[in-house]
Amino acid sequence: MAEVTLSQVRKSYGAVDVIHGVDLEIRDGEFVVLVGPSGCGKSTLLRMVAGLETITDGDVRIGDRIVNDLDPKDRDIAMVFQSYALYPHMTVATNMGFSLEHRGGSKTEIAERVNWAAGILGLEKLLERYPRQLSGGQRQRVAMGRAIVRNPQVFLFDEPLSNLDAKLRVVMRGEIKALHQRLKTTTIYVTHDQVEAMTMADKIVVLNGGRVEQIGAPLDLYDRPANQFVASFIGSPAMNFINGTITHDGFVAPGIVLTLPEGVRGLHDRKVVYGIRPEHFTVDDSGVTMEVLLVEPMGSETQVTMKLGETTITGVFRERIALTPGSTIRVRPELASVHLFAADSGQRLN
Amino acid sequence: MAVAQDHVPSDARSTSPFWTVARRDSLAGFLFIAPQLIGVIVFVLVPLGLVFWYSLHEWNVLANTFTYTGSENYRMLLSDPSIVRVLGATAIFSVGLVIFNLSLALLLAVLLNQRLPGITVFRTLFFSPVVVSLVAWTIVWGFLLQKNGGINGMLLVFGMEGPNWLREETTAMISVIVVQVFKNVGLNMILFLAALQGVPKELYEAARIDGAPPFKQFRRITLPLISPTILLTSIITIVGSLQVFAQIAVLTQGGPGLSTTVLVYYLYQQAFQFHFFGYGSTLSILLFVIVAVLTFAQWQMRKRIVFYES
Amino acid sequence: MKAELSARMKVTLYGLLCVLLIPFVFPTWWMVTSSFKPISDIFAFPPQLLPQRYDWTTYSKVFELQPFVQQYWNSAYIAAVVTIGTMIISSMAGYAFARIRFPFANTMFMIVLLGLLIPSEVTIVPLFQMFLQAGLVNTHWPLILVPMFGAPSIFATFVMRQFFVTLPVELEEAARVDGLGRFKIFVRIALPLAKPALASVAIFTFLHSWNLFLEPIVFLSSAEKFTLPQALTQYTDAYGGPMWNIQLAAATLTALPVLIVFIIAQKQFVEGLAHTGLKG
Repeated sequence: MAEVTLSQVRKSYGAVDVIHGVDLEIRDGEFVVLVGPSGCGKSTLLRMVAGLETITDGDVRIGDRIVNDLDPKDRDIAMVFQSYALYPHMTVATNMGFSLEHRGGSKTEIAERVNWAAGILGLEKLLERYPRQLSGGQRQRVAMGRAIVRNPQVFLFDEPLSNLDAKLRVVMRGEIKALHQRLKTTTIYVTHDQVEAMTMADKIVVLNGGRVEQIGAPLDLYDRPANQFVASFIGSPAMNFINGTITHDGFVAPGIVLTLPEGVRGLHDRKVVYGIRPEHFTVDDSGVTMEVLLVEPMGSETQVTMKLGETTITGVFRERIALTPGSTIRVRPELASVHLFAADSGQRLN
Repeated sequence: MAVAQDHVPSDARSTSPFWTVARRDSLAGFLFIAPQLIGVIVFVLVPLGLVFWYSLHEWNVLANTFTYTGSENYRMLLSDPSIVRVLGATAIFSVGLVIFNLSLALLLAVLLNQRLPGITVFRTLFFSPVVVSLVAWTIVWGFLLQKNGGINGMLLVFGMEGPNWLREETTAMISVIVVQVFKNVGLNMILFLAALQGVPKELYEAARIDGAPPFKQFRRITLPLISPTILLTSIITIVGSLQVFAQIAVLTQGGPGLSTTVLVYYLYQQAFQFHFFGYGSTLSILLFVIVAVLTFAQWQMRKRIVFYES
Repeated sequence: MKAELSARMKVTLYGLLCVLLIPFVFPTWWMVTSSFKPISDIFAFPPQLLPQRYDWTTYSKVFELQPFVQQYWNSAYIAAVVTIGTMIISSMAGYAFARIRFPFANTMFMIVLLGLLIPSEVTIVPLFQMFLQAGLVNTHWPLILVPMFGAPSIFATFVMRQFFVTLPVELEEAARVDGLGRFKIFVRIALPLAKPALASVAIFTFLHSWNLFLEPIVFLSSAEKFTLPQALTQYTDAYGGPMWNIQLAAATLTALPVLIVFIIAQKQFVEGLAHTGLKG
């Protein structure tokens, strides 16, 4: 187990920079999730830690070694690939023991380790099968088994759940988390799914366009996103944004006046983006009037699409309210949950 | 393929090994292709250069003369009274072969593309001549095509008198084409069969709902969709036909007259029977140019003729 | 695919296929049966679809008139060496061109592909001269080296490259993480997965070598060096006319083993060749 430190890590293909100086410290045993839209560089970053991509500039440190020039095999890491990358011509047992075979383990040692890993993952009965004879979830487990079998310092996961159906994804999410709690191995996990990031991570790194947008604990990112990008990326349904200006009356946009929390009066006349999450509305007769466009009952909650001025707003309500499209509703944004971002830079203001 | 440039960090550290992944990969790449590349240079490209060099010489092996004569051999080529007949025979052979081969292959593929019990047995049998030794196949056909051979014997049973197939100009050419087609048509048949099976069956279902009769379905759906395979097989077949040698040598020795003397056979005669290595080399250059032009032409045609490419 | 065929259509189709089959199957049948006939019956009228009398001495003459066992061995071992050699050379080159990034890879690929335009018929004169200079005329070296590095092997390299391009990159990356170097990745991961492509390369390389005719008659001059295709044409009488029954017996011996292997493994043959799209 080890710490992983990235300092000013950059990657460019010719003249095109894909990673612009990333700094990141991962503590021993921490579960870190790199999340971002496709093309944000999260996989590239992971592959640079793995040694599958060269590092253009900066340092990657695993434990107390700078590993920039080391082969993947010398970095003491294990990786779970998106496609699992199981060797089709080898049995589950051979797949799992393959790396040990190349590190000069004896046959009994290898068998022992493979059995240990198979035991943890419930693969004992599948050891003599070939990958093509396994279900998606089983393949996923074998891929994890192959990673844990040699007890590496760092686990790297590259979108490991994206090939599974929704139900299985939830199950495997839990298994990976449980595995981490048991083995306490430092883990870097890449996903484009913010739900995976929120539920699994000790620490989330939000990437966009090759830059770190924010690093923090899941709930910190949810409660206090550093900028509009993070705000829009974390949380589902996504946060509502309204463009407008701050005046004496509060937040003003065409046809809209909204009350602002204390402590933002100093931002007079600034163009801002007002952000409020769908779940932070309360039905209240003293609230703002909105026109109901669409009602989607989910059972546990009701999602309502509404029109406020010229902006479409999504609200999620726990209570079952009787609504029809075309009618109006009065709702009040919870003041404590209002986010304000600069209209130009997108940075958080409050 | 872009060259994998290994970046040297700005503060190049002494720990940086010389054999980086990229450098080791480059070395591995060179080593992996070295046998093939060196082999191609030694056994293909150098000989091609030599054949051009030889073609500028008068070189009689028996007389042991090797004199630089510039374009003399090429002038000789243009005035060679035989060359027109040779090229004519080559063209008739190649074109006849391609047309007969492709239409038969397509017919067989369509027939074999039906879901019938035992159809794979037919497929195997139609394909079997491909694996029969070429010269063995040719010898049997030569035997069958004798004046008093099996084919004429069968014809006589039905009261018909067959020609002396290999000794008359027209029938000799037909014979060598037919023998070659039956030998190798199985290959093209298999390629067409694979292409036919690659046509999505929803297209036929849609066409049937639209009321298109089977022939129209074939012309408007099947043919356009398998056109890449048709082009591929036609070029493979035509280039292959230019290399046909054993069949001619065994069946007709280029005769009667020059009627079946195709370019490769003529080249062989000039170089290895009459020992004119210089002129033989000139003929080799001619063969190379024809192969190159045909290949290049197909490359160009691909864009225009092929309707669809996967 | 098509609508279900009616019973009448089926009968018509079977009938048509059987008629079309005649020129494909009958020659082989005629070759085998005629090889058992005494010379006097070979051109008998009406043609005998089955031998009326058997003459077993024909087959012993095949071996008496020429060193046929030696020639058989020549063909077999040359084809085996060429096939194995081509498989090694083309899988390595095909892998490198598909998967390894190295300087000038594209240029070198183009140079190799250029060789496809140059069949050995074009270069036979200088090849003869080269092997003459090297003292290798009337040896089997030209029959091994020319196909192993010429157009057939280039075609094989192309087939292998096309296959390796489709192999998932992540498999190799997983192998790198597992601690394998380039050569081990090739041997342990890429090559075992390339079995179908290797099989088709093996089949067409073998057939090409087995059928080689121009090179043997150009390069070989003594009977004990001959390969089968060339040997078959040597069973002639004093006037150069073919001794048909003996030729047919030798042809039968040449053709049958491959034909039997084909019938046993016909699926691999047909599918293997269908995947490559090779020469006619």
